[in-house]
Amino acid sequence: MPASLDATLRLVVLTAFIFNTVLVLVYVERKVLGHIQQRLGPMRTGFHGVLQTPADAIKLLVKEDLTPTTADRWVFRLAPFLVFVPVFMMFITLPFTRELAVRHLDLGIFYLVSFSSLHIVGMIMAGWGSDNKYALLGGVRAAAQLISYELPLAFAILGVVLLAKTLNLQEVVELQATAPFLVLQPLGFLIFLISSLAELSRTPFDIPMAESEVVGGPMIEYSGMRWAMFFLAEYANLFVTSAVAAVVYLGGWLWPFLPPADLAGGWAAHLVGLAWFMAKTFALILAIIWLRGTLPRLRIDQLMGFAWKLLIPFSFLNLFITAAAAVYGGFLLLLGWVATGGFAYAIYAVSRRRP
Amino acid sequence: MIGVLKGLVQTWKTHWRKPVTVQYPDERLPLQPRYMGFPGLIWDQAIGEPFCTGCQVCMRYCPTQCMYVTMQDNPKQAAGESKRRKIVETFTIDISRCISCAICVEVCNFDAIEMTHAHERAGYYPDVVPDLPQLLKMSEDFRAQRGQKPARETRDVL
Amino acid sequence: MITERRLDTVDMHINVGPQHPATHGVFRMVLRVDGERIVDCVPYIGYLHRGFEKLAENEEFQEVIIHLDRTDYIAQFNNEFCYLMAVEKLLGVKPPERAEYARIILAELNRIVSHLMFYGAFGGDAGAITPFLYAFRERERLQRLFESVSGARLMHFYFRAGGLKEDLPEGFLEEVRRILPVLKQGIDECDTLLTENEVFLSRTVGIGAISAQEAIDYGCTGPILRACGVREDVRRSDPYSLYPTLDFDVPVGKKGDTFDRYLVRVQEMRESIRIVEQCLDRIPEGPFRTPIPRYPHYRVDPGEVYVHTENPRGDYGIYLISRGGVQPFRVKLRSPCFCNLMALPAMLRDAYVADAVMVLGSLDIVLGEVDR
Repeated sequence: MPASLDATLRLVVLTAFIFNTVLVLVYVERKVLGHIQQRLGPMRTGFHGVLQTPADAIKLLVKEDLTPTTADRWVFRLAPFLVFVPVFMMFITLPFTRELAVRHLDLGIFYLVSFSSLHIVGMIMAGWGSDNKYALLGGVRAAAQLISYELPLAFAILGVVLLAKTLNLQEVVELQATAPFLVLQPLGFLIFLISSLAELSRTPFDIPMAESEVVGGPMIEYSGMRWAMFFLAEYANLFVTSAVAAVVYLGGWLWPFLPPADLAGGWAAHLVGLAWFMAKTFALILAIIWLRGTLPRLRIDQLMGFAWKLLIPFSFLNLFITAAAAVYGGFLLLLGWVATGGFAYAIYAVSRRRP
Repeated sequence: MIGVLKGLVQTWKTHWRKPVTVQYPDERLPLQPRYMGFPGLIWDQAIGEPFCTGCQVCMRYCPTQCMYVTMQDNPKQAAGESKRRKIVETFTIDISRCISCAICVEVCNFDAIEMTHAHERAGYYPDVVPDLPQLLKMSEDFRAQRGQKPARETRDVL
Repeated sequence: MITERRLDTVDMHINVGPQHPATHGVFRMVLRVDGERIVDCVPYIGYLHRGFEKLAENEEFQEVIIHLDRTDYIAQFNNEFCYLMAVEKLLGVKPPERAEYARIILAELNRIVSHLMFYGAFGGDAGAITPFLYAFRERERLQRLFESVSGARLMHFYFRAGGLKEDLPEGFLEEVRRILPVLKQGIDECDTLLTENEVFLSRTVGIGAISAQEAIDYGCTGPILRACGVREDVRRSDPYSLYPTLDFDVPVGKKGDTFDRYLVRVQEMRESIRIVEQCLDRIPEGPFRTPIPRYPHYRVDPGEVYVHTENPRGDYGIYLISRGGVQPFRVKLRSPCFCNLMALPAMLRDAYVADAVMVLGSLDIVLGEVDR
């Protein structure tokens, strides 16, 4: 098979996968939120409403695509794609199993981190291009929030890189055969989770889209296809971020039951690996949905304070401990657990403080 | 942080409970006996005519002026079948304006109007202005639902 | 060589409402913001003005009640209660004891319904979606009770001069007795979801605080004033009906901020349950309405009267003038929401845009009553 055909095929499969995953995710979110609120969620389209999200998708596709007359036309029209494309790019190096990935990049983690911050551009463009004050406010909020949380996210993942001594995601997973990096990097995992919540603009950090304040933020003027693109990007991002957490910290397709020796070849091994990967990813996604069903949202200044005063110092600390462990011996990693306790106490103390 | 965790436990527990909602068009919550839907006119079983004499008191007191009533001489009175000298000729209620306040029931001197349980009037071409036969039918259906004796002759007479 | 350059920025005006998820109706406010900070706030009201006071002049005393339902459309029984006390004062009749207790039970249950509505909407303002559904789950139990009493879920039209429209339905009191413990548990659940939640606390504590003096100057009443630490409750300070015989506390806050207003309301729900429990023990059998000549088209002697009651939103007053005859000459409403709302710009000093939503939510305005 020529390389170009192979790549095209992989991309087509990947695109189909993303679209379907988003449909499933939206359905799962609506169902879980429904049950959290003691209702049933979608029930009428198909068995228990399984066809609700495809129906919604079709509805969005055939809806009129409006552009406000005063909008900055090209900025406005381009923005949804600039939000979606970086998220799509992140999927490319995501290893579902040992073999199953579009490309195993040697700079995988670096690639992921850099692309994860790119969709900010689209957000700002949407906020500016809409010529709407709510959108502008939301866009600026998005910029501030996403850039601030990019730092702790990158620093947290840097700890794993120090331990693994590689940026290749596949090798990172292979190194977790005995124990996932969660055990060695508890603080990094926590910081990664919290800052990826903010990166995703999910509750309690859904400030750019805050419905009761800026009514959807950058997306306020979008309709039909373009709005669907934002939606697609949001949920695809949710999946890919959870997947990265699963791969980097929870052992991806390996942990806990599958010894790497059994994995060599064979479809069954592949499928079990894929199932593990999906189970971990969806567990994280469900946790995020659960948080959404419980928490109110923070205010923008509290959010920024949380990033700069708490997350970034502790991500530095995590990096220090990991670096020290890499130089002086692995026992120092125990300090990571102490630091996690400190981190938990710091959050507790901050949350107790009242003006 | 403790409070957040408590909240998470709360939502976790609630998640496993039975949902409290009902799937509306398939299942409906029972209406209370006193439920006030739109008004209907009551049929006098003994004589075979409406109780309503068309006195227009409901029309005057209706806060939204959604009723229109006219009166006529009662042919049955001339025939000696009925004591009512006057009887309702036309009776329409614009239920798109009716607020189901039951003032018409309260002011009626003949107990000729009642609040039925009819309330689901949405549709593509809703019949928003029922006339006298329809109003009588509403009351009839309502009584049939509640196990009271329906007025079967309504359609034949009017 | 460094020269200081000042960056000149222009304040931005943000129009919030009349169609905005956080305005709880058709309220509009124009915020002048400097970044995320609010410099100035101008509230605009009147989008829901239906001329209730003028309409009332052309209708009989009995018919006016339906308009009262439509002023504060979340606390209908309380409004009817207030108006009918005014009418009864002019008529010189006293409702029988059973009716009085029934009124108090319904009014207090309605207070719970109203505060639950506040709770849900406030949670929504804070960005949490679940409190709204929790609150409506509890609210639905009471709404079904109301439906069994009055036949309507929203516009009850149940209280009449001299008593009630008809007697309480069979088994109603037992049903209330059965529901109260469930309701208590539901309120506790709502409590765990928000009251201790640190994210919620960080959004509410210290936000939109005004001093007690300021609140009094603006004419704030109800939970807004009590949150400032003033123990002012019409049920205690100017007791009406059978409230003097009932045992209940008036919860007050300390700082007068958004959180205190929230907490006062949550505690009031528990106090209301206490009141209802006492009423259930005491309610006697007997007539439900004192006969009035020419009911329902009764004539009222000339005179004027001012009656005020403690509504869920504050001091709800009705000034009623009769020149004799079946129609009132003037019905003037003292609307608590209107006065509370006037304190909004003062509460929003130096607040963030997100706080504006929270502070407005904590005022618990019902536009039907503000605009009448």
